[in-house]
Amino acid sequence: MNGIMMQLNKLLLIVLLFVTATANADWQQPELSHNLTPVKKITPASDFELPDMDDEKIKLSDYRGKVVLLNFWATWCPPCVREMPSMERLHQQVNAEDFKVIAINQMEDTDQVFAFTGQLEIDPTFEILFDSSSAVAQDYAVRGLPTTYLIDKQGNIRYRAVGGRVFDHPEVIEIINGLIKE
Amino acid sequence: MKKHIKVIVNKVSFIASLLTAVTAASAANVSIHKNEISGLLTWTVVDEGFSIELIQLLPDFIRAIYGKHDFPDEEIERAASYCMFGTILKNTSKQQLSYRVANWRYRTKDGKEHPVKTKTEWLQEWKKAGILFAWTLLPDDGEFSVGDWQQGFTTINLPRESEFDLIYKWELDGVPYSGVLENIRCAPESLTGK
Repeated sequence: MNGIMMQLNKLLLIVLLFVTATANADWQQPELSHNLTPVKKITPASDFELPDMDDEKIKLSDYRGKVVLLNFWATWCPPCVREMPSMERLHQQVNAEDFKVIAINQMEDTDQVFAFTGQLEIDPTFEILFDSSSAVAQDYAVRGLPTTYLIDKQGNIRYRAVGGRVFDHPEVIEIINGLIKE
Repeated sequence: MKKHIKVIVNKVSFIASLLTAVTAASAANVSIHKNEISGLLTWTVVDEGFSIELIQLLPDFIRAIYGKHDFPDEEIERAASYCMFGTILKNTSKQQLSYRVANWRYRTKDGKEHPVKTKTEWLQEWKKAGILFAWTLLPDDGEFSVGDWQQGFTTINLPRESEFDLIYKWELDGVPYSGVLENIRCAPESLTGK
């Protein structure tokens, strides 16, 4: 019974959030650019181990040898939601043997993310991990969401983007292909 | 050298804004937009390499956001009691931009200036209440490269529908700038249908 009530409460909150977010619809105005900024000082990306949707532990170092787009996001963050389809298109376009997209969710659970992804125009097939305490975001000095890093095959942070982006823009793909060829 | 840019915004008239969705302000780079459905207002100023957008947020929106993250009721109400704005900051320059909310002030009608409550101050209070959630609020400071932008809530400790001026500051490649958005108005308790 408690479980049903909790689900009902969650549903009511989602409905309330939707209604009030609609009233605050201007929140989603800015255009998304495609600029990625090369970092001034190239540093190794901190390794981490986080659970995925199936509660399997995934390490960043599992993908050493691939270029990784590491994105910090949450379902309630409008620009995160807006850039997600372009992340999926990017994921589909670049060879999976050389490239990986990892989206690290902040402080939400699998139920919330599962319900959210079901509403997206494109169902994400890239890796979604759960940073339940935001410890990894703190390690990466993430100040706001979304923030994205591009990590080279040696595991170094090479580019950064603060705020939403269009990730399947040809210039972004060119940068990624450049890192793959290094 | 410190460069001060004062941006004057015409006082918003609800009657006038009923007639038009976008109201041109006296300064060319400031606009006020009224949501035709909700009546909520958005102020946007595009300044020297920097743009700031303030969006009125309804208390119920704040309640829904923090309710979703399982905040205690008293903390939800405390947050909702503040005059909150969705705030979008953008680097529109080709330079490195930085800002610090701690340098920002709001000026009330009595002419007094007050510090804008920072995210750090909120997090310290929330931590005491056992809340670890650290997102949604505008980060205290930011370093924006070309194309970077950020959004989050700005909190002003004023009652509903109060008016104030926001004095905001930023730096481009270390050169300081400031601007004033005048006659910003806090959101009403609920949708007015105006």
